[in-house]
Amino acid sequence: MRFLLISLCFFVVSCGSYPEKQNFLTENSTSQEIENLYFSDPSIDYVYKASIDVYDRNFSGLLIIKKLTDKEHRVAFTTEMGNKMFDFSFTEDNFQVNFILDELNKKMLINILKKDFKVLILENPLISNSYSKENNQVFETLIYNKKHYYFTENNQLNQVIKTKNGKEKVQFLFSEINNHLANQIEIKHQNIKLKIKLKSITQ
Amino acid sequence: MRSVLILLLFISVSVHAQTKMSAPEAEALKTLVKQQALTTKTISSNFTQYKHLDFLSNDIVSKGKLAFKTPDLVKWEYTEPFIYAVIFKNETLFINDEGKKNQVNMGSNKLFKELNGLIINSIKGDMFDDEAFEISYFKKDKYSRVHFIPKDKKSSKFISAFHITFNEKGDVLEVKMIEPSGDFTKIVFTNKELNKPLADAIFTN
Repeated sequence: MRFLLISLCFFVVSCGSYPEKQNFLTENSTSQEIENLYFSDPSIDYVYKASIDVYDRNFSGLLIIKKLTDKEHRVAFTTEMGNKMFDFSFTEDNFQVNFILDELNKKMLINILKKDFKVLILENPLISNSYSKENNQVFETLIYNKKHYYFTENNQLNQVIKTKNGKEKVQFLFSEINNHLANQIEIKHQNIKLKIKLKSITQ
Repeated sequence: MRSVLILLLFISVSVHAQTKMSAPEAEALKTLVKQQALTTKTISSNFTQYKHLDFLSNDIVSKGKLAFKTPDLVKWEYTEPFIYAVIFKNETLFINDEGKKNQVNMGSNKLFKELNGLIINSIKGDMFDDEAFEISYFKKDKYSRVHFIPKDKKSSKFISAFHITFNEKGDVLEVKMIEPSGDFTKIVFTNKELNKPLADAIFTN
């Protein structure tokens, strides 16, 4: 019986939402909004020097992001010498590959990149729950049907965590933020050996 | 007033116009460039790279230095707005990405190998290979411009043309690589010095 109670307890604890496990308290107002403004200015050509560690290999190049209209972003990647590796278009509900090198044209890879970049460019995620702890707030939203948690400190977005079954799958870190420009961005995958480091060279 | 406008239009059109070379002129340029490539043992130059993507408001500008030593040592080094160097040596690419060193064996990557061969040849300007390219010759003032269109289907998938501009001595001033989408990379060489002694140590990572 005691064993059952313990395992029930354990079950309840492990069923808690990701922020609750981090000692955040649920807020009742769901009218809260969160904005990600890091790629939101159509007058800016966002250019980042990118370093990608995938398994034991390292690639580098330039990640280029441009907001074209309220509903469309372009995301392209070139080598330092200018050779284009891929070029994607994101509209509200659509995703399109404009170009990709044959060597990279793998469905799984495109899917991972699509999901990662969607988080970078999505400006107004729809909030389903919110949590708070001191100056920190967490907002829960669904992106491609997966729970994502947006962490803010003093109202500044500094982290997004993508979860699956309450477990952290991908971490997005935004730092050195200046006028809505995140000078450093890191995307770390937990289930695959993939880490993307971005450093702004926006001119 | 209208005639002034027409005149202005005419002037600007004629400034930009490049005329096709005659066959003997093209032959003379080819000989000059090949001669120049033969006598060039080293090249050191600054460069400015303009990456044009149609969807951007401005080209992405980066700057750096090039060193070349015969037969096929090339160091391509960016100093602004990021620090990154790549050395082409034998079949290997040595990369130094802000201190993070890496190497890529091109022997196993045909695409890389082809691209790098093209880069080396375009630095020297010597790409006059009729089997690989459809070549057309133009002149503008004292400069010559040659368009190289790859015949190979695989390379034409990512490069639709190279435009190389030469000065009157047959030196490369500018290389423009145009992608099928119309996006391009333009590299402009400045302060180019030929046959200045370059130590092999420059080409070690």
